[in-house]
Amino acid sequence: MDAALHPDYPLPDVEHPVTRPFWDGCRERRLLIQREKGTWTYHWPPKPSYWKGGKLEWVEAAGLGRVYSYVVGREPFLPAFQALLPHVMVLVELDEGPRLVGYMVHATPAEMAIGMRVRVVFKRLTDRVTLPVWEPVR
Amino acid sequence: MARNSVDQELFRRIRDRVAIVGIGHLPFAKDIGRPISDTAIEAIQIALDDAGLEAEDVDGMSMFEMEHTHEVTIARGLGVKNLGWWDKLSYGGGASCGTIMHAAAAIVSGLATVVTCHRARNRGSRESRPWAQERVLVTDDKALHVPWGLIRPVDVIGMWAQRHMHRYGTKREHLGNVAIAARKHANRNPYAMMRGRPLDMEIYLKGRMIGDPLSLYDCCLETDGALACIVTSVERAKDLKHKPIYVHSVAQASGPNPVHLANYNTPDLQTTAVPCAEQLWARSELQPRDMDCAQIYDAFTPLVIMGLEDYGFCKRGEGGPFTEGGRLELGGELPVLTSGGGLSEAYVHGFNLIIEGVRQLRGTSYNQVPDCKATLVTGASGVATSAMVLRAD
Repeated sequence: MDAALHPDYPLPDVEHPVTRPFWDGCRERRLLIQREKGTWTYHWPPKPSYWKGGKLEWVEAAGLGRVYSYVVGREPFLPAFQALLPHVMVLVELDEGPRLVGYMVHATPAEMAIGMRVRVVFKRLTDRVTLPVWEPVR
Repeated sequence: MARNSVDQELFRRIRDRVAIVGIGHLPFAKDIGRPISDTAIEAIQIALDDAGLEAEDVDGMSMFEMEHTHEVTIARGLGVKNLGWWDKLSYGGGASCGTIMHAAAAIVSGLATVVTCHRARNRGSRESRPWAQERVLVTDDKALHVPWGLIRPVDVIGMWAQRHMHRYGTKREHLGNVAIAARKHANRNPYAMMRGRPLDMEIYLKGRMIGDPLSLYDCCLETDGALACIVTSVERAKDLKHKPIYVHSVAQASGPNPVHLANYNTPDLQTTAVPCAEQLWARSELQPRDMDCAQIYDAFTPLVIMGLEDYGFCKRGEGGPFTEGGRLELGGELPVLTSGGGLSEAYVHGFNLIIEGVRQLRGTSYNQVPDCKATLVTGASGVATSAMVLRAD
């Protein structure tokens, strides 16, 4: 799979101290999000571990949500994503509340709809980077 | 409470006591062939000439930049004796009116007397677009959207547009009304990049999809340009060439839980324009109904529709129908983007909207609204933004 990755693919910095637990989780095929201890309020994007004296914890999300919005990318697109065209980018509202940017797999633009039920799928890009992407719950 | 009262006092001191006295810009181009560190100087010099001021009068500078031009390079090129105050605002599309707010605050607090505000930007050529250079390792906020391919601004905004269309029934024809109004205005503006390229609904609807639901005509241009204005106190403005155009109210806002660009974790997906508008109108004696026209930031047509709602010209969800019946065109109830805006004049991060606001109030627009006394100018909603109300006697 590594060999197929376009040389210009924009990879995330998975070592960033704030988001590292998220990327570590993705590598283990677990979708981790931040929750405030006590109130159980979810935070996204992640905040630093020292936020308000360490009030946040990483917990595993169910990996289910709904399409909050989507866009279908057409030509001219970036070379790194050319193979995915038409590229269906989604904003998924997790059942836990946060909205995550992702893209769809196993779905055509024609079947996309706001409110569609989706499930996380993990797509390995490199040894270090695995992306959570989304498929319809049929 | 104490902080709130300080805030009120500062903005009372700014209101109609600070003015834009000079404007200038170079002809827009697809490839201007000069670096922005050079074009910026010329644009500021044109604005100083327009004001009837000399470089030696300048002691402050507020620039809108995401690049790396040094203030001293510009000050030296102009012949400024001494800069006593300067700052640089970032956030593509959002910071235009922010430069004016900072200048106004510096002037009323005595940090500066004559401030140049400018934006110079080269992005006409394909290689110069920041998103086209996105590769290999994403280390900032964008690491949580760029790796999925959400990179082109059209897709970032398309996400908001699709939601708006779904939730409120906004139609492509509504987006088209915005594009057509901007193009009609551009066709009377000799500086507009799209002059001589008429657009009607039939052509609009046939535009090819770029980031569905947004098509070619929903997207702004990509332009090289350099624009400047000169800000000073009304006292200093008295013996200058033009009547002063007053900064009546001005605001900046990041909104809650902000992310640069894919700013999707705000309540109900509200944009940064909501908190910005709240502050802007709270500091203003004028209200949306008092605006004779509006220069609403338009990198993409849905931003104008959402801007009409966020800045209070209509209720949430009614921005689409608000565009109907030529309301946004010259002669309509609320002409918008009377220079052609980013969609059809030039896309220079919205600084041209400030210049056009001043022209309207001077009575020198190419699409002059009769007896124009007040106009709204806004920056990009979505990103950390800014807005202002300009007025004239």
